[in-house]
Amino acid sequence: MSDELKQDAVQTNEDNKVLSKHDLHRAAVRWAFMACNAFNYETQEAPGLTWALAPALRKIYPNDDDYEKAIANHLKYFNTTTAMANVVMGATTAMEEKEGTKSIGAVQSLKTSLMGPLAGIGDTLIWVLWPTIMGSISGYMAVKGNPLGAMIWFLCNLAFFFVKIKLTDVGYFSGTKLITSLGDRISIFTESASIMGLTVVGALIASVVRIQSPISFRFGAVSMALQSGILDKIMPSLLSVLLTWLVYKLIGSKRWTMNRIILFLIAISMIGAFFGILK
Amino acid sequence: MGTIQSILIILLVAWMIIDQNGLVIVSYFPVIVGFITGLIMGDVTTAMIIAGTFQLMQLGVANLGGSSMPNYGLATIIGAYLAIRTGTGIKTGIAVGLPVGMLAIQLDVLVKIINNFIAHRMAKLNAEHKWRAMRRQPWYGVALFGLEGAIPTALLVFFGPSAVQAILTWLPKWFTNGLTIAGGLLPVVGVGMLLHYMPTKKFATFLIIGFVFTAYLNLPILGIALIGFACAYYYFNAAMKRAEEKKTNVTNSPLMANSQGDDYDE
Repeated sequence: MSDELKQDAVQTNEDNKVLSKHDLHRAAVRWAFMACNAFNYETQEAPGLTWALAPALRKIYPNDDDYEKAIANHLKYFNTTTAMANVVMGATTAMEEKEGTKSIGAVQSLKTSLMGPLAGIGDTLIWVLWPTIMGSISGYMAVKGNPLGAMIWFLCNLAFFFVKIKLTDVGYFSGTKLITSLGDRISIFTESASIMGLTVVGALIASVVRIQSPISFRFGAVSMALQSGILDKIMPSLLSVLLTWLVYKLIGSKRWTMNRIILFLIAISMIGAFFGILK
Repeated sequence: MGTIQSILIILLVAWMIIDQNGLVIVSYFPVIVGFITGLIMGDVTTAMIIAGTFQLMQLGVANLGGSSMPNYGLATIIGAYLAIRTGTGIKTGIAVGLPVGMLAIQLDVLVKIINNFIAHRMAKLNAEHKWRAMRRQPWYGVALFGLEGAIPTALLVFFGPSAVQAILTWLPKWFTNGLTIAGGLLPVVGVGMLLHYMPTKKFATFLIIGFVFTAYLNLPILGIALIGFACAYYYFNAAMKRAEEKKTNVTNSPLMANSQGDDYDE
């Protein structure tokens, strides 16, 4: 990203203002709803983004030919975590508002350069850590028939909707400056969040992955249960740890797709149940 | 009453998929859709137990980069609906919900392929300056995603319950037991995925801490989350301080004065 480009995004707000806060928020709400609902394998989230931005772009480009160019530009490949796209949307809108069609190249390169890193942060925080922490807490309560965790999660998601709208403002008002200057801090934040996530995952291995064997050995009059007598003595949840390690390795190898791993585990369960090896 | 419940269930599935693609308020999170299913069917407890089981299976199986994953949300709604409607309980929920959730991915792929044509149509309409029509196109995507959930659910809801019950009584005992065992094993897939997304090797310490507190001390998960938060908070402050110090060092040293930037990025 050039310095010139950064400057652009910062200075946008004083001159050439065509969009009101309402226009910006309207685009954000439209994006929040459509996002991946027009998802395709070729340009991915681009149709949804274009649809969301269309009314705002029309205001920026009253001239038909300019509008056509801007729309065609946004219809090119775009894919990032949907919540993070709000930041991109805010920043590009600010640029287009200021520079008009001259900004189209910069808008495209900004979108392309930001969507990767933002997806890295967003996917980790929004799609991995948050559902893991909320999911393990509320999943636990749910297994005991308690819906409280589910209700809290629902309310959090509702609140998060407003945070997403706010992220568009962040993008619009501070544009690329924020992302470049906070780059290192965001990565520290992501790392810290990963620490909390991994602590929970460690707990999950012991508590959520349930695999036990009912087998017991007989030595004359003495009988010894494999699970409580041997395995649990070595380490509690030993089988869970071994299974987790195996699946971790399988996911890493290219020959095993997710569906194959799931079918493999179902097969193990069936065989285990048939011969009474597992319970 | 029964018909209204069935219709609400079909609408819930359609909305779940549309919401998951955008608003992410209900989304495909099993406990949330399971709770709503429980409210519709009038038996929250059964619904929550099934939802909790699928929630634990789904952990970490994130829908990243537009990949298609088993739809555990759909599995929960179908499973809880059938378990409560037929009165056969949790095993039915897992036995029927799981395959439905896995089969539904195929439809997801189909919809995303059809959406390719919609994207091309948008580009064409834009070139022709027919913007009103262009802005209508994404709505077909919304409709398709809604139908992706609604069609299989409608088939199951209107023809399913009796057929499902007949099949379940016919199935051998080891098979249903096997499904229960699978319910305990499958969360491992999600856990494995999580370990892949996260900086597991760098922060293996915390993985072990979480494991030890649960396996040896049986601490509840909220307690573990708090320990994790404490570690994260400590690390955040320490790392920020380190970053600050490095920054001042860089600016103060005469040699580096002109080249601050990426040094502390990685």
